Amino acid sequence: MKNLFIAAGERSPEVDFRFEERRLALRGEAFPEDAAAFFGPLLRQLAVYCEAIRGQDLQVELQMEYFNTSSAKALMNMIQTLEATARGGTRVVLRWIWQEGDEVMREFGEDFATELTHVDFQRVQI
Amino acid sequence: MLAAEHYRMKIESRQRGIIFSFNGFISESILFALGKALKRKLSLDAINANTMKRVFSVFVEQAQNIIRYSCETLDRDALEDSRISSGLITVGSEDGRFFVNCGNVMRRDDARPLQARLEQLRGLDPAAIKAFYLEKIKAEAEPTSLGANLGLIEIARRASEPIQYDFLDIDDATTFYCLKVFI
Repeated sequence: MKNLFIAAGERSPEVDFRFEERRLALRGEAFPEDAAAFFGPLLRQLAVYCEAIRGQDLQVELQMEYFNTSSAKALMNMIQTLEATARGGTRVVLRWIWQEGDEVMREFGEDFATELTHVDFQRVQI
Repeated sequence: MLAAEHYRMKIESRQRGIIFSFNGFISESILFALGKALKRKLSLDAINANTMKRVFSVFVEQAQNIIRYSCETLDRDALEDSRISSGLITVGSEDGRFFVNCGNVMRRDDARPLQARLEQLRGLDPAAIKAFYLEKIKAEAEPTSLGANLGLIEIARRASEPIQYDFLDIDDATTFYCLKVFI
């Protein structure tokens, strides 16, 4: 699968999917005008990719600063896909990164942790 | 006369603690521009980053609710996200706390289920609101779902006290809905 890089927009995050290296990252703010249009293709590609790398390993980094509720649902969808992938035998490391003092993002890390048992979920304050 | 009238409006707003107000048709691009100005104003005033983030989040969800659910909309057939709809949104501070208010006209038939949801949220403490948010986000993790429910829960979650709402019936079919949220 070809690597996918989308630079951060004014209301959309940077997408850095290095499929060959099995390293995926989203960084920045997410409140796109049309969350389904922005996240839909990413989520579909992720699902196909996760199926293809079954049994291997995957590193995902989420370094969000703000996201609205439509984007929160897309992130939850992504996290559920990763959990299912890990349950299927792929070693998945997910790093949730937030800026020191950012209570909202720290708390979202707690929220997402409740969905994850098979993923190696690492919460990192920077 | 012209200046006196407008100056009075400006002074009245200031007396009510309003730092920012918008009344009229709002689209996603106006939301974005207003949000940018709001962030800039709060950051120039050296407002705590967490407070700023909460104010901004409540502002975005409220503005998106106007865009999607105001019944005064220019293009009802358009997708809910790309509508241009009329409403009122104000941000201000009162006794050292920020508030975000919104108001729009809606159908009375839609107001009843909305009121039930608002009442339910008012009855929950912060821990229960957080649990409710998680339950909803897990259930609605579909990119196609607009999820007004989740928006209201997010608003309640960022609030520092129970959200306040009111309805003023305009005629048999429509009502004016208001939501006031203290951060």
